Amino acid sequence: MDIFLSAIFAGTSRGAIYALAALGLVLVWRGAGVVNFAQMGQAMFSTYIASTLIAQNYSYWIAFVVALISGGLLGALVDLLVMRPLNRKKSSSALDSPAMRSTIPVIASLGILGVLQAAAGMIWAAEERGFPTPVNSLGLVINGKIMPFTAFDLFVIGIVFVTLVATTYFFKGTGMGLAMRASALNPEVARLSGIRIGLVRTLSWVISGVASSLAGLLVTPSANLSPYTLDLILIIGFTAAVVGGLDSLLGSVIGGFALGLLVSFVNVYDAPEDIFLAILIVLITVLIIRPQGILGSKEVRRV
Amino acid sequence: MLEIKDLVTEYGSVKALNGISLVAHEGKITTVIGANGAGKSTLLRTISALEHPRSGSITWKNKSIVGLSPEKIVRLGIAHVPEGHAVISQLSVEENIEMGALFRMRSNKTDVLLAIQEIYQLFPRLEERKKQLAGSLSGGERQMLAISRALVSRPSLLLLDEPSLGLAPLVVEQIIQTVNDLCRNTGLTVLLVEQNANTALGVADHGILLSLGTVAADLPAAQMKADVALRAAYLGY
Amino acid sequence: MSKASSYGRKNLVISILFTALVFFLSIKLDPYNQGQLSVALMFFIGILSIVLLTGASGQISLGQGALMAVGGFAAALGILNLGLSIWLAIALAVIAALLAGLLLGIAAARLSGPYLAGTTLVIALAIPSLATRFESVFGGDVGLTIAFGNPPAWLTTLMGEVGYEQWQLLATLPFATLALFLTLNILGSRTGRSWRALRDNEVAASLAGMKISETKIFVFVISSGFAGLAGVLYGLRGIVGPSVYPISLSLLLLTGAVLGGIRSILGALIGALLVVFLPDLIEWASASFSPSEQIANYLPAMISSLLLILTVVLNPGGIAHGLHHKKRRH
Repeated sequence: MDIFLSAIFAGTSRGAIYALAALGLVLVWRGAGVVNFAQMGQAMFSTYIASTLIAQNYSYWIAFVVALISGGLLGALVDLLVMRPLNRKKSSSALDSPAMRSTIPVIASLGILGVLQAAAGMIWAAEERGFPTPVNSLGLVINGKIMPFTAFDLFVIGIVFVTLVATTYFFKGTGMGLAMRASALNPEVARLSGIRIGLVRTLSWVISGVASSLAGLLVTPSANLSPYTLDLILIIGFTAAVVGGLDSLLGSVIGGFALGLLVSFVNVYDAPEDIFLAILIVLITVLIIRPQGILGSKEVRRV
Repeated sequence: MLEIKDLVTEYGSVKALNGISLVAHEGKITTVIGANGAGKSTLLRTISALEHPRSGSITWKNKSIVGLSPEKIVRLGIAHVPEGHAVISQLSVEENIEMGALFRMRSNKTDVLLAIQEIYQLFPRLEERKKQLAGSLSGGERQMLAISRALVSRPSLLLLDEPSLGLAPLVVEQIIQTVNDLCRNTGLTVLLVEQNANTALGVADHGILLSLGTVAADLPAAQMKADVALRAAYLGY
Repeated sequence: MSKASSYGRKNLVISILFTALVFFLSIKLDPYNQGQLSVALMFFIGILSIVLLTGASGQISLGQGALMAVGGFAAALGILNLGLSIWLAIALAVIAALLAGLLLGIAAARLSGPYLAGTTLVIALAIPSLATRFESVFGGDVGLTIAFGNPPAWLTTLMGEVGYEQWQLLATLPFATLALFLTLNILGSRTGRSWRALRDNEVAASLAGMKISETKIFVFVISSGFAGLAGVLYGLRGIVGPSVYPISLSLLLLTGAVLGGIRSILGALIGALLVVFLPDLIEWASASFSPSEQIANYLPAMISSLLLILTVVLNPGGIAHGLHHKKRRH
């Protein structure tokens, strides 16, 4: 029973992180029509920045905030330096066909991932390093009884919950949020309404960058930091986003938690080596049975 | 005054507009009629910068607006209601209207709230349904919403593309009358694209007949409406 | 008819010239570069699989490395468990990859763009992890040992002493030539034209009576066969294991394909040479300002990634597109 409970708690806290990663992917997919495979590369880079600050005796929280800001800046840079020129070029491109139009940004994002990983390797070398947690990550003891969860689990779940509430408020309760939803749903009507969709797109890259950096900061204590470790989160985040529906923010969060539980149960009851296989099976099953995901709308998949 | 000279717009190698010149006078309704594929929608899309002209000029209040972005053009007081009841169906009625005023929400919030109130007076049905998703509205209500989305920006030029498309005659009558009232009461300039020539010429001051991307006739609306030979040649009735 | 046969003859001439050129180089180059060139030929085959899949039919795959692994493991199991010769093992590898491609294609035919990219990326990670999972069969993290072995006696009688790298290159050459010849013929045929129609306008292709799903699956199968062939040759250099076919291999091949020109056979060759020789080139070019080891290690990855981004933004047709700029695009 205790094993079961701790698998649930570990899965929920993991799932919260995957939900962030999936949210980051969905934001850019909806806002800019790109599945950004460089996302966790951006997160890795800003986590390294945090790690460097901590090594120089800055407090965890200063490093935390700086990493989130740099994650946002990296997102903006990716959009301004690569994706915007790509968009401008697309119509006159030598490879102009619908299939290639959706493929080329994917290739560009892989190039960005490569650049970020190589840059991290050059700056911080390849050896793995640990990353601290702001609170204790051993089993919490209450009334002399060891709980099936850690203080860090609670911290992760709490901070992700706050982020999700803030994101929901931003989208439903602010003018900029409305502008982002409108631009994603119908760019032409949005532009005719005076919404600067270029700016809105960049903003979705920024928010996505912050969300995935947060995911990176929270997952790294349990995964160690190297230029390549966060690739796994990308895969899981992608699967979570597809499970939830690539165009649904709420769906991506649900997908994230579902994947978190899946990974946790595979870890506890089976073997960690099977995680990829389990993810692959889930991904293919969803794509065959319900390709638009749990909450996605049907027509979006073919865009 | 909106003045267009020798406008050419191409899709690939096809010239959708092939040297169009026209004028839309302030406070008047100018209607652009013509068969399917005559270039009517392309004309409006070029004015609002959704398409880029190959050559020619567009001046609004004596300033060239060619090369500006659609976002910028809205800010100059030109609002475009594209074809097909263009609302965002996954957003609520309220949000669709608010969307049209987002760009001036910060600079002039009181006026935006006032504009929204005026729109609800103009179309009380939209106020009743303001929390509903736009996708749940009827065709006529959606067209009203699309026009509201444009009006809330307080335009001085309204580009209206086929508002009658797919609507029942009674609803068309109501919408066209509302536009007519707006023009007469507030001095709004209207450029109305219609396939339904009779209805359009009935309210318009001036008529422009497009055929295959060129201006085939440019006459006062009443005169155009009366010209049986012209109608027979270009509109087929 | 005569046009078709003159076309076929042209393909044959190109293939023979290609063989002659590589054979000439195999004699002239030092052992290190013989080895590098043989890897470039293996990558050439692998990149051709991307030219067929992405360039010709518009489907993206980030998992070609996984199909290479399928080829490699099938051959290794054949050699170690059934005692097959390497030639039979290569045939087995191609068959295994064709079957894997069939399965993949059935799943992939329903997907497009980013969905396909993400799914194949997951596959690229999942398949090598199977090797660790079923350690007793696939040899775990270490993998299985296979090799090209020694050059046959008739070759040494004919050519004198043949070094290990030279033999590796000469053994790879016929397969690279075969891949080249097949690709030339496929892309020039009606089949190739129908793939391009699918890529350029799926709706129109479907209205013209093409069976979209069947065609997509078929492309996947053919492309996978090429990837499997590249994979077994790549494994025959010594080891078949998860570390030989990492996710970065898939991305390296994609980089080569894009840099060279994703729609061009010549581009595939240029791309393969580029990704294989780029590290050597960079080392040679950076010798004058001797960067630290840490920077030098990552310089090739940095430069090829930057080139990848620059290519898609500035010249998405790749180098080959620039070379025959004036020719009609195919």
